[in-house]
Parts: sequence; structure tokens; C-alpha cells
Amino acid sequence: MSVAQSLQAMKKGMVNNMKNMIHVGNLVKQYDKAKTPSVKGISFDVNEGDFFAFLGPNGAGKTTTISILTTTLSKTTGEVSIAGYDVDKQARHVRENVGIIFQQPSLDPQLSAEENIRFHACLYGMYNYRPSFKMMPKEYRRRVLDLAEIVGIQDALSKPVKKLSGGMQRKFEIIRSLIHTPKILFLDEPSQGLDAVSRRGLWDYINTVRRESGTTVFLTTHYIDEAEHVDTVCIINQGLIAFNGTPDLMKQNLLKQEVILDSDNRPELTNELISMGLAPRIEDHVIVPFQDMTAQEIIARLQTKLTLLKMQEPTLEDAYVDYLLRKGGNIA
Amino acid sequence: MNEMTLKKPRFLREINVIITILSRDITLFFKSPGMLIMSLAMPLVMMGMLGGSLSQNMAGGLGFDYNQYLLIGMLVNMLFMTSATGITSLVEDHVTDFTQEMMISPISRYSIIIGKILGSSFAAIVGMFGTIIVGLFMGIYLTLGQYLLIFLLAPFMCLSAGSLAVIVIGLIKSNKTANTAVMLITMPQMFLSGAIIPITHSSGVLFVLSRMMPMTYCLDLTRAVVYAGTPEYANVVLFNPFISLIIIATLTIVFLVIGTFFFARSEKNR
Repeated sequence: MSVAQSLQAMKKGMVNNMKNMIHVGNLVKQYDKAKTPSVKGISFDVNEGDFFAFLGPNGAGKTTTISILTTTLSKTTGEVSIAGYDVDKQARHVRENVGIIFQQPSLDPQLSAEENIRFHACLYGMYNYRPSFKMMPKEYRRRVLDLAEIVGIQDALSKPVKKLSGGMQRKFEIIRSLIHTPKILFLDEPSQGLDAVSRRGLWDYINTVRRESGTTVFLTTHYIDEAEHVDTVCIINQGLIAFNGTPDLMKQNLLKQEVILDSDNRPELTNELISMGLAPRIEDHVIVPFQDMTAQEIIARLQTKLTLLKMQEPTLEDAYVDYLLRKGGNIA
Repeated sequence: MNEMTLKKPRFLREINVIITILSRDITLFFKSPGMLIMSLAMPLVMMGMLGGSLSQNMAGGLGFDYNQYLLIGMLVNMLFMTSATGITSLVEDHVTDFTQEMMISPISRYSIIIGKILGSSFAAIVGMFGTIIVGLFMGIYLTLGQYLLIFLLAPFMCLSAGSLAVIVIGLIKSNKTANTAVMLITMPQMFLSGAIIPITHSSGVLFVLSRMMPMTYCLDLTRAVVYAGTPEYANVVLFNPFISLIIIATLTIVFLVIGTFFFARSEKNR
């Protein structure tokens, strides 16, 4: 066996040893009085420690799926297990192992930020309830202060939630969802309504948590760039899985790929490209979409002297939009 | 999951959950001046105005002290109405999505409901003290021992009222509708259960309705305890207190089970 084959086998073994944290098999959900199902028999798996992005247009079935996975909505048919526990028969164990940041903020606006966190920690049975922060156990106080410091909101702990900005509230929701150290963190559009700085801060923190605790993250988002560095992208459209694979694979499958060229003699360059069966378009430079040949083949066959050569790297958003358009989905 | 969680027996965890939910409602009570003002204003309206007017115009020829009868009725009515109304905050929690926070927690749905009922009982107890104070100003009072007995029975009354309201809440998702629906189940009890008007001579439909209402038994049990050993007992108490107790306990458990089922179902089955 060669070294490469050994490495391949080791990698395969590691993958097989990874615990399956989320299993969804042929999941169907039809709401009461709805004529058609919102989720039409979807299947996917998420391994331990994976960062899994669940993308799709509005009404595709993302929130329905996440609600079933977190035991807040019943399924019609299918199999769903979280951390090895069945969502219907072992809902309590499922709830012990997950943390959730909902699409809509779910903090109590009348309570202070710390009171919301204390309430959560006591509901999860981590500590006995005490009427003030000072009376709570030292371990709790230290953990809350540590988490608040990481996200830079330690000064706002005693402020009523209703007086905090949307970004601050989101950060407190993150602290709250992580205080019981869940194995799986569900993020349902966590950065909705946040400014760019808050979004970056939020993602820095989530990435730190992933790195340090190996938490499995299940993300739904409309900001496709947030899913650029995930392990797996799963696209749901009209209740069906349209794609499930790595972001790179998704980009590779993208129909539209482009190379940007320019020359002092643009007409000659353009004619040459047309003669290869390509359809260049002139913008600031000459943009050459290609499909049946590689960029290298195009460049190798060109005789005209080039002054610019640049690859247009498709983003995940390009690939996502392309996928939905091909599948006839609504990208609004 | 934190190891501390796993170390605690399930029963103790659920007790902690009930205390947590109850404490949240108490915290909210003190943070909302409106709730505090309402809890103190209600006794003024109910005991001071309605009770005072009835006392001045209807107190004669009943064979017992109507003022004392009225005070006990108003105390139980205050507990019943405020507890039932307080349960509507579950709908408010649903509207603000805070219910989700409780529903995704690894806790019994019964603990959520019992915690909410006991939480709303706090406002009811404040209202009860308000009624006692208004009564004192009107010259109507009981002995300290009698007040203590009513205070001991109060959680029972609150659980009974709260469990009845939970059935309604489990079926309703709008805050406004919930308030109206709870009003619809509490107001008839005030008039038909003997809180302010004796029901000894009720007949026909009103007789049947009075016997169907949980507050009838709550009131009768309270009066049985307060009037025990007095000559007025036979004139004011309708049932054997043990029968009242059994009926209250049975109705509370039945309402609690049905109400919790409706509540959990309405959150999950859509």
C-alpha cells in the first residue's frame, strides 16, 4: 500500500469513526390545513464537529426543518435523531444536547440580560435558582462573566434587554444558548438585522467556540457569504434537497465560470475567442464565460499578447443563485 | 451538557424549574408598576365599591353576618380571578417568542404550567392582602387565625383557578382573545358560586351551573374552615368540607392534565 493510499485509508477510518450527530431520513412535514407538504421527504446527516449550512430561499422549509430537529414542531413522517436520540421518543435527551438561537429574538425584554441567562441555566438544571446574580454560585458568575467578556458585553449584563441594541441582544442569546455547553448549536438566521461589525464579532465568537469545544453547528442563513467556510452546504428548495456537499463541490458544479482577459489589441483577442466557440463580452475588460474547456486550454490556444489575465473565482453565493435558478426556485 | 445537571435527581430538577418560573413572574411583577397598581386597585373596586354597595343595601335578614360572608367571598374571588388572568401571560410569552425558550428546555411541560400558575398566584396573594386592607377600612375583618387559614388554603385556590384557565390558554393564541376568554370563565363564577350572593336558594339552570363551577367548592371549603364550630356554619356552608376538597383536587388535576396537553399540543402540533 502506498503512502497516499495509507493516508486515504486513515482519513476514511477517521470519517467512519466520527459520530453522527444529526440524522434526518425521509422527513416529511405537512402543516394542518395545508394542501401540500412544506418538507417533502428530505434526508441528510451531520457529523460530530461539522459546520453544516442549511440554505434555501424564503419558504423553502428551513425553519420547519430546524423546528422539527429541535423538538418544537412535530413531524408528519420520517426519522430524525439528534446526538443519537430520537426527537419524538427521547425529546428530553435531545433538548439537553442542543442550544438554539432562534430567528426571532426570544429573550424576555422585561428582564435584565443576566436574568435571562440565569433563567436559562436554571431551566437546564445547572444551578438552583437564586434571586440575584451575587447569590448565584461562584462557578455560574465566573462563567457568565467569562462569556460576556469574550463577546465584549460585560458592562451590559445588568441592563434590561429592551434597552439593548439588536446586536447586543443577539450576543446575549449566544451566551445563553452556550451556557449549558450543548453538543449541537442550531443557528436560525443568527445575524439577521445585525450590522457588519456585530456580524463579524458574532462569527469570530462562534468560530472560537467551534475550535475550542468541537461543537457541531447547524446554520440557516440568507447571508451566503457566512456559509463560505462551512464543511457542508445543503440547499433546500420547495421542500426538497437541491444540493448536499462541500462548498468547493458546489462551486465546481457551477455552470458559469469566467476568465477575465485584456489585450492592447482587443478586436483580435475577441475574434480569436469567438473562433474557439466562446462568447466573450466586453465590459471594463474582456469577460470570457467557459464551460466545455478549461481556462488553461483557452489561454494555451491564444496567440494575441495579453495585458491582463485573471480568473473569476465563483463565490458560494454565485453557485447558490445558479443552483436555484437552474432548479426553478425563487431566490427572493 | 454540564455534569451538574446529570447529578441532580429528576424530581429536584423539576422543583427547581417550578421555582425558576415562579421567580421570573415575581421579578416581572415588581418590574411592572402597572401590575402592582392593578393588584391594589382591584380590591378597591371589588371590595370597596361592589362589596360596599351590596353590604349597605342587602345585608339584612340573612341569618348571618353578610359583611364577613362578603369578605371571604371577595378574598377567594380575588385569588381566583387574578390567578386565572395571570395565566394569560403564557399567551404573551408565546407572542414574544419567549415560550420557545421554555419549550426547548429539557423540562416537564407540567413544571412550566405549575410554575406559571404559582407565579400568577403571587399577584393574587398581593390582591388578597389589598382586599383585607380595604375590608379593614370598611370595618369588616376576621380573626388572625381565620386569615391564616385562608392564607393556607390560598395556593389550592390559585392552582384550581390557574388549571381551569390553562385549558382556555391551550386553545388560544391571541393575547386579546385570551383575556376575554378568561374573563368569560371567571365572571360567571363570581356571580354563581356564592362569592357575593348566597346561592342557597338557587334552582334550575343556575343551580346546575353553580355546582359545575370550581369556585363554588373553593368558597365553600374556605367558609367551612372559617365558620367551623360557629352557629352560622349551617347557614353558609353547603357541602361537607372533605367533599369540597376532593372535588377541588379532582377538578384541578383533570384541568391541569387537559390544559397541559392542549398547551403542549398547540405549541408543537401545527
